[in-house]
Amino acid sequence: MPRLFFATDIHGSDICWRKFLNAGKFYEADVLVLGGDMTGKALVPILALPEGGFKATLLQQEFFLPDEGAVADMERRVKSRGYYPFRVTAEELAEFEADPAKVDAFFHQQMLDVVEQWMALADERLDGSGLRCYVCPGNDDAMEVDEVVCRARHVELAEGRVVELGDGFQMISTGWSNITPWKTYREASEEDLAVKIEQMVGQLGAKPNMAHTVFNFHCPPYGSNLDEAPEIDDDLNVKEAGRSLVPVGSTAVRDAILRHQPVLTLHGHIHEGKGTARLGKTLAINAGSLYEQGVLQGAVVDLDKRRGVRSYLLTTG
Amino acid sequence: MSSSTLFLRKATGLVRSWSVFDAFVYAFFSINLITLGLYIFSQMYYLEGGLLTTAVVSGIIILTQVVVYAGLIAVMPRAGGDYVWQSRILGGGIGFVLAVTGWWFILWLWTPLYSDMLRHEFFVPLLGILGMQGAADYFAWNPNAWFIVSVIMIGYITVIIALGMRSYARVQKVCFWVGLAGLAIVFLFLLFGSHDAFRAGLDARAPEMFGSGAAGGSVYEATLAAGEEAGAVLPMTGGSLAAVFLAMPYIVFFNLWPNWGATLYGEVKGADDFKRNMLGMGGALVATTVLAVVFFLLINKTITWDFYTNANGAYWNYRWGFTDQAPPLNFWPYPAMLTMFLTSSRIVQFVVILAMSMWFFGWAGTIFLSSTRVIFAAAFDRVLPEAVATVHPRTRTPIWAMVLMVVPGLIVSILYVWDIANFQSLTLMSTLVIAITYLGSTISAIILPYTKKEMYEASPIAKYKILGLPLISVAGVIFLAFLLFLLYQWLIDPNGLYGIGLTNTSSMVFMLAMYGIALVIYVFARYYRRSRGVSLDMLYKEIPAE
Repeated sequence: MPRLFFATDIHGSDICWRKFLNAGKFYEADVLVLGGDMTGKALVPILALPEGGFKATLLQQEFFLPDEGAVADMERRVKSRGYYPFRVTAEELAEFEADPAKVDAFFHQQMLDVVEQWMALADERLDGSGLRCYVCPGNDDAMEVDEVVCRARHVELAEGRVVELGDGFQMISTGWSNITPWKTYREASEEDLAVKIEQMVGQLGAKPNMAHTVFNFHCPPYGSNLDEAPEIDDDLNVKEAGRSLVPVGSTAVRDAILRHQPVLTLHGHIHEGKGTARLGKTLAINAGSLYEQGVLQGAVVDLDKRRGVRSYLLTTG
Repeated sequence: MSSSTLFLRKATGLVRSWSVFDAFVYAFFSINLITLGLYIFSQMYYLEGGLLTTAVVSGIIILTQVVVYAGLIAVMPRAGGDYVWQSRILGGGIGFVLAVTGWWFILWLWTPLYSDMLRHEFFVPLLGILGMQGAADYFAWNPNAWFIVSVIMIGYITVIIALGMRSYARVQKVCFWVGLAGLAIVFLFLLFGSHDAFRAGLDARAPEMFGSGAAGGSVYEATLAAGEEAGAVLPMTGGSLAAVFLAMPYIVFFNLWPNWGATLYGEVKGADDFKRNMLGMGGALVATTVLAVVFFLLINKTITWDFYTNANGAYWNYRWGFTDQAPPLNFWPYPAMLTMFLTSSRIVQFVVILAMSMWFFGWAGTIFLSSTRVIFAAAFDRVLPEAVATVHPRTRTPIWAMVLMVVPGLIVSILYVWDIANFQSLTLMSTLVIAITYLGSTISAIILPYTKKEMYEASPIAKYKILGLPLISVAGVIFLAFLLFLLYQWLIDPNGLYGIGLTNTSSMVFMLAMYGIALVIYVFARYYRRSRGVSLDMLYKEIPAE
């Protein structure tokens, strides 16, 4: 009876990744699954001051960092929130400001470097643990992230393929989402997303046992309450101070779930959408995300050959 | 000199900003001057602390609550409010018991209170204006009519929830502007009307529209006499400091709710969001207090404070059964309706009262929306069955959550409307239980910087300190002291002012029953989940990072 721990959308949070790696032992899980969106969204410059020391601004608070210890501590805090700290001089910072392409390239490299570090940490921590760990990058993750994950010894890339969870349970995964206003790395029209999903379902065999199949799709099903996000206007301003919630999930995901009725589906993408829903016989879970607070939201699911999902719990670890 | 402090890439969820005004509207409706305010002011006729002074002083104290909640939102945004904050900081059992009693069970009691306001601010005045005197009287006094209004109101709220938050936010915005326009007209009438015109209008139109009157005399004079007999003494200003404080356990029924919409905002936001929350919630509290002060002054100018207080005294003295003598003004002295006696135009009266009712319709959805959230959060935590969090596949209405609100709400309405087991004495219980919930969140806020040090240090409020102490803790201690004062007055009630204390058996039984049910649900859920191989302890335990 495999116990699965699922978390998602940790967005570069160092502390959340460390917690994820420890979650197997903590929750006595057999399989770790990380849904999409591993990479961070912000770079935080730590500016070297001509008179000595550094300064940085985190959450609109300016900090003077007099020595190496203070800088290291600030870097740790920045990483915990999922942002990437980097030390710069005033001249270098001016170059970044003047050249958006340079920022993009640097950002890209930072993302890959951190994922590389994370994979190294995973290899170290999971070695000898017997845990299987699957990662499926999401729409906010650059395509090159896959290659970095593939190089890890104890982490497996789950995108677009069938993986074994144990006891006859299988899982198919995709980090692709429907179109968002942010034009991120892995977005597809609903039609294309439906094709991708059906290709994966095809890999399950001619007569797949859906009672033993898990769909790990980053994007939640449309209109399931797991996809309620604050409504935004064309300029990306939140309407009604965040009180107007609208469904933004994928109809392709919803249709696939209703058509195939897997025993369990795992989602993320909409951080506010933590919860569960039943779509026919399927239990759908969005673990949500509080990565900025260093809190790892997740789901512990006990799979049972006879009963499908024996029990589950949404955690705040 | 370079100035960039943050570089962002295009990524899901990165929003630019949100409108402080939109947050203000929601909080402004939650501390609702026209519904909650006028309703509770009218019941305070026997207190000796100046109402204006009490509104201002309590408003200033409640600003500390705004700091506490804006701080909690800044440290743990998108977490779902009191339930999640308390369960993560104080523990799952405490969080569940305090949150479900304060945000779910006690809202059953608010059902008849909301519908009482609806009938007095909408049905009764409009029916009177339309010349349907008998129907107006029926809705004003008959418990069957009150219950019918409860059912209508629940139907309206169900539709609002079925329409979803997006539609409700739009409805609320329209109601805000129309309601404000209605209030502006009322203010203008009071500003430019004279006391003599009011008195003449009342004496002429109240009997004609509502059948009001005293045997052969003036409604105005008879009301003053009935009010004096009822012991109406509430001053507008003045009163000793002690009297002002003793009026606060009553007035907080109106102004303890600026935090009602404490909820979610975007990512990569910092101190600015804290300030915006402060502005939204605090601004609403200040604006509402200012409007209340203006309303009091205008009432005093044209209606006169003396008449207003005596009319309230005469009404509630009869309604609470302290006298068999029906009040000469035979409907709840709704200040907007009293103001409309200044005009003979039924059309103007109708339009203004209808506009003023938007204060109700823009606000009423809050009663079940907040409960639905807590019910969902508890279901996701597996403390409640999964089924209660299900939504209708087409309408996306949270059917079972609504059932859990509506059915007990109707049962409590029956008890309240027909005053079974002295239920009508429990009005302030509606506030007491939520205050206890706030107590839990306030204690959470006070200890947060020390028990969740890392999370607090990483938050945008870490820099705000007073004498080296975290602002959230300092504000929390002040607000905690205020809550403890309120709870002492309500529960011990040394001056016998509030009627819900230890001497009121119904009150105590109701309260203990609510806390008892919550505790039983939690203990049962723990036991049941453990038997299924899941420990609820896992919910809140933090995974070690190293």
